[in-house]
Amino acid sequence: MANVLRTFSRWINTNRVSKDSIKINSLWNRSLATEAAVLEKSSNLQEADKLSALEHEDFFNLKPSFTIKQLFDARVHFGHKEGTLDPKMKPFIFGSRLGHIIFDLDSTAELLFAALNFTAHIAYRDGIILFVSQNPQTSYLIECTANDCKEFAHTRLWRQGTFTNSTMIYGAVTRLPDLVIVLNTLTTVLEQHPVIAEAAKMAIPVIGIVDSNCNPNLITYPIPGNDDTPTAVELYCKLFKNAILAVNTRWLTIILSREMVWDGSHKKTGELSSIF
Amino acid sequence: MSSLRKLFGDYRSLAGAVGRMTQRNSVLWFCSAVKEENQIDRKDKKMSKAMRAYLERATKYNEFMKKERDAYEIGRRHLANMMGCDAETFSQEQIDEAIEYLFPSGLFEKKARPFLKPPHLVYPLKKEAEFDETGRPYHFLFYTGKPNFYSILHEGYHHLKALNDMEVGKKAAMKLTDVFEPLDLTGSKWLELKELEERLVEPIMKSEYANFINIMERLSSHKRAFAVKDFIMKNRKPLMDKQMSFEPTEPLTDTDGRKYVLTRECPRKTAKADVKVISPGTGLISINGKNIEYFRSMAARKQILFPLDLTGLRDGVDIEATVKGGGEIGQAGAIRWGISWGLRCFVSPDMFETMRLAGLLQRDYRRPERKKPGQAGARRKFTWKKR
Repeated sequence: MANVLRTFSRWINTNRVSKDSIKINSLWNRSLATEAAVLEKSSNLQEADKLSALEHEDFFNLKPSFTIKQLFDARVHFGHKEGTLDPKMKPFIFGSRLGHIIFDLDSTAELLFAALNFTAHIAYRDGIILFVSQNPQTSYLIECTANDCKEFAHTRLWRQGTFTNSTMIYGAVTRLPDLVIVLNTLTTVLEQHPVIAEAAKMAIPVIGIVDSNCNPNLITYPIPGNDDTPTAVELYCKLFKNAILAVNTRWLTIILSREMVWDGSHKKTGELSSIF
Repeated sequence: MSSLRKLFGDYRSLAGAVGRMTQRNSVLWFCSAVKEENQIDRKDKKMSKAMRAYLERATKYNEFMKKERDAYEIGRRHLANMMGCDAETFSQEQIDEAIEYLFPSGLFEKKARPFLKPPHLVYPLKKEAEFDETGRPYHFLFYTGKPNFYSILHEGYHHLKALNDMEVGKKAAMKLTDVFEPLDLTGSKWLELKELEERLVEPIMKSEYANFINIMERLSSHKRAFAVKDFIMKNRKPLMDKQMSFEPTEPLTDTDGRKYVLTRECPRKTAKADVKVISPGTGLISINGKNIEYFRSMAARKQILFPLDLTGLRDGVDIEATVKGGGEIGQAGAIRWGISWGLRCFVSPDMFETMRLAGLLQRDYRRPERKKPGQAGARRKFTWKKR
């Protein structure tokens, strides 16, 4: 137990992430300048943007959007009781304390960043993002989140075939979402949410918060973490919302930088980073 | 002529469609701007599959409707010719009259009788596209399949949360003078499941309707529900009784200086009565020139006296009534309603309310149930012995 507590304090005291973010910021400035150069050469600017976006490690500057301390404060590390542990979740687990699973927040942070980055890329290409959950306690929050970032939410009764039989369900040919974010992968009776299987059948990528009693197998971007505590869900919602809204900010800088390239005032590109 | 009959035949078969047409206002037409499909195709090649399918459907629908409109126009002109009227100014009322005259129908069900109506009144309307050209839906709850219904639930909880927050925020600075404004909901009720479905153009399950009632009850019983009155009342409808105006009118004055109220054509079953209530009076009752013995049955006499006894004006007013049509009970009922309707102008507001609650002011619209084929009467069956 003492060992676990010591590790917690290590998480709290660590400033590794902030160091990372400093490094990333400097990288960021440099990449912006190179990008401007690419833009100058390319005739089709939009295509160039998208290409360079994929080459970039953190195109939307999402790494500094959260710290492990924040995750810890939001109680993301709390899992369920030991007995309910799904064996597939073992790689993401730090240990257990008083019979409760504790997640390894280092791996959570890594996977969370990957998921946020992917979300932002989907939003960057005008993809449709669907927030799904069946937890009545958080459904209002999730619907508000979706509404705020002009995306979509489904926190109600899931009708069988919503994706696989969409033409019948919606009464017409319908464009399905390009990304599904599941904030609670279990239904109210602790079975896997049917959206996960349906999305897998329709080849729609899924980001899912997987608690210690969930199966991460069909989830494209699993994020191990607590999916029951409201503070944790609030944090996830905030992060995903920021990631989607960061795309707008990114577009703004690209447009600005483009204008500057056209003006021939390269010197100004350095100042752009202050927007972030 | 044969073509005309065929036309009517076609329309007759469509009678069933009319019933489904009740929610015309809430559904949107296919946008008239289901512009030339080809033009859009050329302009934007990146249009989504969903939008292309929608445009295809819309074009097909519009073509069909155009054909139907032309057929309607031909039918209208034929009818005008047959009736010897000007085809240019032959109106819908004239069409209905002409059909009633030329194609008399003994069918009981009105919807089953032949008719000729503009096609947009006969065929169900289609929903407009719910997504833009890239296939991205407009509504944030689109993927639930019932965006209109669920957005009511969402909004309901949003208001409830706001009211609770208000409560918590105010608690610190609460004063004795703080007035809570609960909402008075008398005289209205929640929309029925069917009405809600019609208004939202979405099928709603019973369990979902229970959710709707649950959140609405929670919201309307909140201490500060008055703040969201508009939202709550949007989902309620007034009770029937309140719609009809029972307000008393000012009585006229006789040549003798007595006040009177004359109510013409008081209905009950097939009887019609003209009833004059005169105040002050001595309790004289005259029905077609006779006294209350005009009615032989005690039940009919009791009916006449009931409103007078209830208001305690049996010896305070005179009644003059002429009645025709119907049987004894029908006539008595017609006069009873006429007396009550006249008396309401002579009584206190409290008594007026008592009369309303007693059901004296409510018209009785009941009619005998029709006889059914294969049966002896409305409900009675023929005698039948198995062996």
